[in-house]
Amino acid sequence: MNREEAEIRLREVFKLEKFYDEQWQTIEELLKGKRVLLIEKTGFGKSLCFQFPAIVYDGVTIIFSPLIALMRDQVKKLNSLGIRAGCIISEQAEEENTQIIKDAKEGKYKILYIAPERMENDEWIAAVKDMNLSMVVVDEAHCISIWGHDFRPAFKRIINLVKLLPKDFPILATTATATKRVEEDVAKQIGEGIKVIRGNLIRDNFKLFVIRVESEDEKLIWLGKNIDKFPGTGIIYTGTRVNTEIYSKWFEHLKISAVGYNGGLDAATRVEIENGLMNNRWKCVVSTNALGMGIDKPDIRFIIHTQFPQSPIHYYQEIGRAGRDGKTTYIILFYNPADRDLPEAFIESGRPSIIKYFKVIDAVKNEMHGEKELMKIVNIKQTQLRVIKADLLEQKIIREVSIGRSKKFEYIANAPELDYSLFEECKKLRMEDLENMIEYMETKDSRMKFLCDYLGDNYEHTKSNCDNTGEKKLKVTVTPEWTDKLKEFRDNYFPTLEVENSRSNLKNGVAGSFYGASNVGRTIHRCKYAHGGDYPEFLINKTIKAYRHKFADKKFDLVLYIPPTVSGDLVRNFAVTIAKRLGFKISHNLIKHKKTKEQKMYENGYLKSENVKDSFEYRILKEIKGKKILLIDDIYDSGATIKEIGRYLTKEGALEVAPLVIAKTVGGDIAC
Amino acid sequence: MLKDAAYWISLAHLPRWRTARTNEVIIKFHHTDKISIEEFFSLDTGVWEKEYGLNEKEIGDLTNAKSDIPNNSFLAETLENQGFELIPITSDDYSQTLKDNLKVNYSPPLLYIKGDKQIFTEKSIAVVGSRSASAKSLQFTDNIAKLASKEFKVIVSGFAKGVDKQALDSSIKHIGRSIIVLPQGILTFGKGYQEYYKQIVNGEVVVLSTFHPNAPWMVELAMARNPIIYGLASEIYVAESDEKGGTWSGVKDGLRKGRKIYVRMADAEERNANGKLIELGAMAVDFDGKVLEESATLKENRESFDDSLRKIIAGDILSAKEIASRLNTGWTSRKMAEYLKTMTWVEEVKIKNATKYKLKPVDGTEQVGLF
Repeated sequence: MNREEAEIRLREVFKLEKFYDEQWQTIEELLKGKRVLLIEKTGFGKSLCFQFPAIVYDGVTIIFSPLIALMRDQVKKLNSLGIRAGCIISEQAEEENTQIIKDAKEGKYKILYIAPERMENDEWIAAVKDMNLSMVVVDEAHCISIWGHDFRPAFKRIINLVKLLPKDFPILATTATATKRVEEDVAKQIGEGIKVIRGNLIRDNFKLFVIRVESEDEKLIWLGKNIDKFPGTGIIYTGTRVNTEIYSKWFEHLKISAVGYNGGLDAATRVEIENGLMNNRWKCVVSTNALGMGIDKPDIRFIIHTQFPQSPIHYYQEIGRAGRDGKTTYIILFYNPADRDLPEAFIESGRPSIIKYFKVIDAVKNEMHGEKELMKIVNIKQTQLRVIKADLLEQKIIREVSIGRSKKFEYIANAPELDYSLFEECKKLRMEDLENMIEYMETKDSRMKFLCDYLGDNYEHTKSNCDNTGEKKLKVTVTPEWTDKLKEFRDNYFPTLEVENSRSNLKNGVAGSFYGASNVGRTIHRCKYAHGGDYPEFLINKTIKAYRHKFADKKFDLVLYIPPTVSGDLVRNFAVTIAKRLGFKISHNLIKHKKTKEQKMYENGYLKSENVKDSFEYRILKEIKGKKILLIDDIYDSGATIKEIGRYLTKEGALEVAPLVIAKTVGGDIAC
Repeated sequence: MLKDAAYWISLAHLPRWRTARTNEVIIKFHHTDKISIEEFFSLDTGVWEKEYGLNEKEIGDLTNAKSDIPNNSFLAETLENQGFELIPITSDDYSQTLKDNLKVNYSPPLLYIKGDKQIFTEKSIAVVGSRSASAKSLQFTDNIAKLASKEFKVIVSGFAKGVDKQALDSSIKHIGRSIIVLPQGILTFGKGYQEYYKQIVNGEVVVLSTFHPNAPWMVELAMARNPIIYGLASEIYVAESDEKGGTWSGVKDGLRKGRKIYVRMADAEERNANGKLIELGAMAVDFDGKVLEESATLKENRESFDDSLRKIIAGDILSAKEIASRLNTGWTSRKMAEYLKTMTWVEEVKIKNATKYKLKPVDGTEQVGLF
């Protein structure tokens, strides 16, 4: 098929006039049964490069993509063009996936989208055997490189697959973000003879700004003043989960329509927010970087980062989803040099300590274990275990196998020793990336050029679309009016303690503050661990205020407090004061009858729950039957202790149990 | 990782192909033409027809197999990810014992294993016997496993009830090494891998299958698996055999092929066919596996008997009845025929409807190819 013939087909099926040269170049290679790596910016039309050959071939084209929303959207579009396409994703009902697999086996699809994780699924693997396969596509191919900004272990299996496929079987890998190093790595992994086609990465419709600030307050004030002035709707990226809450509450306080989004929300809420974003329900969504990849909205008009990302490539990726329609789009970044602590901590804590690696290896040497068992044995957070798992899989020390329906890890006989020099190299590289990010913010030259150069773009363009090249500089002016507004917000903002569940009479409670906020954490720490005496007045006031905010004039029958693990009357005295101020009865009859370890010794929820399980007792049970109980503690972390006491008191007949604490930690909040 | 794993899977399980036929094709491309399996599959069908002498049906099968290679790549990836290894017959890692015993006609073109393949370089013993073996037979099996462990020999067994399972359990108990030959596909052994996890990691147990990785357990596969067990072993110990069934036919087949087979000498009161197998030429062993020497006269008698036999049939083609009468044994034709079958130097020939025997010509030509 030559280009002319292909373009006739293109008009018939896709209603498009012609291919760009790079599109045709890619398609021509694929039709010859070749392998291609295509690097083009978002909005270029990469999808057509596989969708077109897919309709030319007899069989079905399999597309691996990590972006669920994007898959759904493309399936919809293809079906509207009369091209049979489907996607198999875990978000769909099991029956629906099974039906699609069945149809694919019967040759009813031209294009089938699947998530890389699907390679773990036996039903899928069994079904592939009976499909007429014509091509494999790896979307977001930078995810296969450990040198990329978004390495995903599930992609490793796709590489193994690609290596096993016949040499004359067409394979396309695509990405919008790959540095030279990642490009080389991906090309090497996809295999010999691969052709690399790289387009230019410049986004002409972006207007790039960096706003220099000295504090969190300045960011909040600038946004409060200006956010409504932007056209359309957009996304604000914060570095942490807790900040998605604080920034969105701030907007709420100012009556600006906004919503917070992060990976900690349940799936239904996330989907609802994603849909709301598509329909412009809010001026902005405040989110961690958990949002964005895969949101196929053509008219995101602005993206603002309150915290700079860890590298220019993260940044390019995160802003990449904006302005796909080609219209003017505002890309703004707040730069406070002190903010480097956060990405630095990300990089530093990117890997758990080596000793944990060895603990995992030892455990797996002895017995096959699943993830949950390992978390318990090694005393480790799930996120950390997953990092270790990815590294050990990569270094071929362990492998993940299916035993029936469950996944277990097994030790690979005669495996090599753990090589952690690689971790150091990785860390060094990430630090360099961070320096590059800072350079982006401090540069006096074209910011777009900086990004393109960083990404290895070898095109020459004039880039005059930033605050260094003609656009006006943005600055923050703090006025007393806004300082007061912010103070008012801060004084009246109290984090919720979400403890409600169907198995107990627990009610959501409230905290006086976040642990990390201003001097709260420091003061608590001094009192708790440095003999600083009882909690001072301002903490008591803050807690009482939180109570009033949440519960107003509600009466509780009884105040209980959490008995200490080690010793000391700090919480007892605090509870006595609070009870007195609120005018509620206090009881000292909740005791710990089993020795437990301090909860902070345990790094995951399973172990925390196990540590406190069945360790509390109330001495005079009739006192709590049918009562509404206010449960006091100083710090709320995982909530495991409060949940255990809530469960126990419910069992013994308490009507309601609501927690009240001084501060909620944000320790686990570094995740997105 | 075996780069051309998907090609091998496609070639190894061609529908209704005799192993011998598949191996002939492999010998031709690998040995004679010195091309890779990938190159073989990219040959023109004309070449397949002319140079490989493949007929229309065979070419059709291979064409289908070729179009399955992308699909089998997915399967191969799963196998690799789960830690299974594929060993094609052309590989240096392939069991030499298996090749020596099964030859071109029966050696499976592809082995699927989990565990340390170094095990194939060790001397090996199969302990075989009934699924419902007596306590005595099980104890014998345990003794043999212990002995094997002491002599660093590998125990080969089929993971069936009775003697098979005992052989495996005992091998593990005595910290020996063993090969489990599955009567099913390697991917369907599920919990078994968890059960023998430590042994597999330590290289003490290797699980092996020659069937399609997803094949479920079937009687036919259990039968087809038996020759693989015999084939993987350098020596065969029989704990207990009936006068029919897998063990019986397997041992007789082995004797015919001149394999070294040891049979537990049964006590007088036992009701099994162990004695018959000894009569047919298997070596009798005691409860601890020690060979019971034939008495000198018996041995001498047998040797002179065999000498007479050789002289009688030299240069002649005779029926069992004729041989029995010329030897003056008083044996029935049937018993004579059974005995003749155990003689490696006797060849059976069909003349019209009658079975006759002659001296096997000495084979001067070496087998070509892989064996």
